[in-house]
This record gives sequence, structure tokens and C-alpha cells, in this order.
Amino acid sequence: MSDFSSARSVSASGMQAQAQRLRHLSENISNADTPGYRRKLVSFETALGQGDRISEVGVGRVRLDQTELSKVYDPSHPLADEAGQYSGSNVNLLIELSDAREAQRSYEANLKMFDQARNMSSSLMQLLRN
Amino acid sequence: MFENLVVFQTASAMAGHAAQSQALISQNVAKADTPGYVGKQMLPFGDIYTAPDGASAQRATRERHLNGSASSTLMAGVDMRGADNPNGNTISLETELLKAAQAKSHHDRALAIYKSSLDVLRAASRTR
Repeated sequence: MSDFSSARSVSASGMQAQAQRLRHLSENISNADTPGYRRKLVSFETALGQGDRISEVGVGRVRLDQTELSKVYDPSHPLADEAGQYSGSNVNLLIELSDAREAQRSYEANLKMFDQARNMSSSLMQLLRN
Repeated sequence: MFENLVVFQTASAMAGHAAQSQALISQNVAKADTPGYVGKQMLPFGDIYTAPDGASAQRATRERHLNGSASSTLMAGVDMRGADNPNGNTISLETELLKAAQAKSHHDRALAIYKSSLDVLRAASRTR
């Protein structure tokens, strides 16, 4: 029985982690045109378990991507320098979208595992009922 | 009359094995995007389970049991080494979902065996 509850809690932690990843991805996407914005990077790590066999997953520190900001040529922009360029964000929409798709798939897989653990424990409980 | 109660022990051991396997698969799926995570899986039930027959000693599933030296690593799952992703993770979501379907079918089978054996036992005791 504790196997099922630990299975459900680890699936729930996985869903929480994927949801947080999706949140940072949508922040990146909505700030794709913000000047000087650096995209946020999310990394997963194993949360410290309580000496348990099954340990949950958690989100580590959110880091900022330190790659070069893109240069946009627009002399009329208030932030433009002498050359008429200003620095935009370093968000690549294609990467963000494919990352979001992967996060969605992982979330669905976790949800499926959660559902299956629930089904298995309820069919175990059915044995008691009749 | 009760000499074939081994079937209950076997069925419940199989259900427990499927439950532990489900917990490990859930963990693998949850950590499919964690860099450097090495997946765990249970050994097949038939390989690590020895059915208790009447003549032999009692079955031991833990070290503290009588006659017990069943290594707990067998029940705790073994590391899956294989094709690593570039980030050192060894999980393939498709394989894990396939294994989850297997675990579910093993669990269902164990429960069905348990339930029908229980029905037989009840029918036998009712006619007395």
C-alpha cells in the first residue's frame, strides 16, 4: 500500500516540477521582445528524500542564460546606441516551443502514472469489498 | 484441506512485486528530465520468487526473517545502465510506459488469481 502512496507522491512531484518548468517557459515566451531580457533556465534535481527508497523530483535554482543578447537595428528606439542598435532578448522561440511541448508530454506521462497507481490501489481495495 | 494456500502467498507476492515495480516506474517517469539520473527497475517476478513447497523451509523475503538471507537489493530494484541521453539520464519514456502497462497487467492477474482462489475457498467452506 505504501508503494502506491509513494508512487502517487512521486508522480505528483513530477507534475509539479513540469508545471513550474512550463511556467518559466511561458515567461520566456512572453518576454521574447523585452529588451535586455535573458531567458530563464530550469534544471531538475532529486529532492532530498527522507531516507526513502523512492525520492521525489524537485526544481533546482533558476538560472539566467548568459549567452549573448541579440542586437536589433532600430535607430528610432529609445535604447538605441550610437550605431542605432539596441540589445533585445536571447529567447529563441523555436527552442522554447519545443521545450514546452516536451514538458507537456512529460506532464501527461506523470499524470498517466498517477492515474494507474490510483486504479491499482482501488482494485486492491475492491478485494475487501466483496 | 488448506494445503494449497501457497496460491494466496504467491498471488500476494506477485501483487506486491507489481506495486513496487509501479512505484519505481513512477519514479523513473517523474525523473525522466533530471540530468544524471540512473533509472531503476525490478527484476522479473519469476526470477526472484521461489515458491514455497511443503518440504522446504519457510520463505524469507527479508533478512530478519527466519532462515532469511534474501538480499534486499533484489526487492529494491537494480540500476538500468544503457543508452544514456547526452545529459546522463537513462530513461526512455516509451519503455517506461510499456513497463507500466506490464506492471498493471501483472497486478490485475495476481488480484484475479487471489479473488478466484478466495471464491473457491468460500464455496468449499459453505458446503460443509
